[in-house]
Amino acid sequence: MEGLATRITVMCLRNLLRRRFRTSLCIFGVSLATIFIVAIGATTTNYTTAIREMNIFFSGDVVVVAEGAMVIQAFPVVGGNLPVSVVEKINQVEGVKKAVPMLVRFGFQVEAVIQLAPTNISIGIPPGNWSVLVGHTPLKPGGNWPSADPDKKEVVVGPALAKQYDLAVSSKVKGENTNLTVVGILDTRSALLSRSIILPLKLAQRLYYGHTMWINMVVAEPEEEGIQEQVANRIEEEIEGLEALTTHERHEIIEPLLHDVETWTLGLSSVLYLLSMILVTTVAMMNVSERRRDFATLDAIGAPKSAIFRMVITEATLIGLLGGLAGILLGSIAAILIASFYTNIPLSMFFFDLFNIVSPLFMMKILASTVAVSCVAGVIPAIAALRMNISEGLRSEY
Amino acid sequence: MYRLGASVIVAVNKVSLEIKEATFVSIAGPSGSGKTTLLNLIGLNDRPTSGKVFFKNEDTSLLSDRERREIRLRNIGFVFQTFNLLPTLTALENVELPLALAKIPPKPQREKAIQLLEAVGLTGRLQHRPKELSTGEMQRVAIARALANNPFLILADEPTGELDSETGCEIIKLLLSLCRKHKTTVVVATHDERVAKASDVKYSMRDGMIMRDVGL
Repeated sequence: MEGLATRITVMCLRNLLRRRFRTSLCIFGVSLATIFIVAIGATTTNYTTAIREMNIFFSGDVVVVAEGAMVIQAFPVVGGNLPVSVVEKINQVEGVKKAVPMLVRFGFQVEAVIQLAPTNISIGIPPGNWSVLVGHTPLKPGGNWPSADPDKKEVVVGPALAKQYDLAVSSKVKGENTNLTVVGILDTRSALLSRSIILPLKLAQRLYYGHTMWINMVVAEPEEEGIQEQVANRIEEEIEGLEALTTHERHEIIEPLLHDVETWTLGLSSVLYLLSMILVTTVAMMNVSERRRDFATLDAIGAPKSAIFRMVITEATLIGLLGGLAGILLGSIAAILIASFYTNIPLSMFFFDLFNIVSPLFMMKILASTVAVSCVAGVIPAIAALRMNISEGLRSEY
Repeated sequence: MYRLGASVIVAVNKVSLEIKEATFVSIAGPSGSGKTTLLNLIGLNDRPTSGKVFFKNEDTSLLSDRERREIRLRNIGFVFQTFNLLPTLTALENVELPLALAKIPPKPQREKAIQLLEAVGLTGRLQHRPKELSTGEMQRVAIARALANNPFLILADEPTGELDSETGCEIIKLLLSLCRKHKTTVVVATHDERVAKASDVKYSMRDGMIMRDVGL
């Protein structure tokens, strides 16, 4: 055996193995709590991040939708068609530099090799205005933006969709019973753009409405910075039946909800950590009670209080470490299963992308939290071990 | 003096004794006479309710818990009736433990521990855990552990209590040889007549009070 610290760690491991049934149950309990924390935390983090990310689109611009439409961040998700003629009216509002019409649909049904998952977004934009949506996002080499001619039926897809359905430039896909040609693949890591299908506005209108008279949103760019709110107010005053949302207003719609989701997730995690702490404390107290004579012997032969304290804390920490590792592994699998279930994306697609679902930083945070909670859980039993009277302890039975 | 609920138990009452260096002292008495409590007081495991304990002429009542622990580590070796070996450690590791606590480097720890176990006749049992040892072997390991830091004083509480007659005899011889060869002071609390007969100074204890047995 080596120095005292190593000796204590080895003794702790052996003590845990000596009561392997109890230790296993305790590790199982901690890992169960960790599984839920990882699975729920990773899932809500992914969704909230994706939703928050949606608000980086059209930053500084006013998003105009039909009154009563439900908007999540920058995009209408339910309701509210707008006549195309509204675009010209918006262009004439004082302070508006340019108004770009769009047609946005979630859950665009495209059949390729496998039935497409519902979580994708199709965005019809007038050709030449792609940067309003994608900014400076380039296409992967060899790709082009769709032609202005809607009859050519050309689309650009996001990289996640391309990977999922094995699409490349010139691939044919079928959408809304129409044959489409992929002419470009976005080079992006954006969650939303990765799963988007960008096509000429008129093509999108024909596919969804059968005509080109409706859209469902307009992005109005103000002439200068700082007048976003004034422009939005003017649009609403001058044109009936519209809702004009600034960046701040779009943020305010969803942020309280996301904040509530995160608060509930944090609350649930805290409860699970508390339950873990109670479990570890209980098991550690049982271990200390059964080893009164061992601790008394150590005290009698001159072991410092710190060694005894460290022994109990180390045992509790080891339980947290092992439970945490098992929980993170199983929780990551659970998070993937949840993501696969809700997105219909095959499991095999995720295992190469585990760290997108559950990031290494998230794993480290959870592991550190679990270990810290278990360490704290060992404090009361450690204090109990220290307060033991030597004489009484030496007389204890095993 | 102990409190047990509303009751007060006087375990050791008006005891006054002096133990000279390199003597083999036995304290005999029936169960409940206070022998173990007396050893715990001598060994600084307990503080007296009244009175003082002097160790090498130093008043231990003035010492902190840390200082008392240090004395136990470096100057006192304990041998218990129930051996009190740590069950998850091997014989060698149990003997190494006090050396590790005394911050002896690992290699000398091992060498000293092996030497001690050889001295008590356990050369072939170094890697065995207590449950794999006989009672006699466990007590030998306990004695080896007690000797780890070359203590000035060995306190043995009923060291032959759990042993058969033959094994008990061997243990007594071992303790005696420590005293004679190594000039270690040995104090044994015992029921065993053989220990009492072999000792240099005999005390008997009853109801917490001690008296020197002068052999009348």
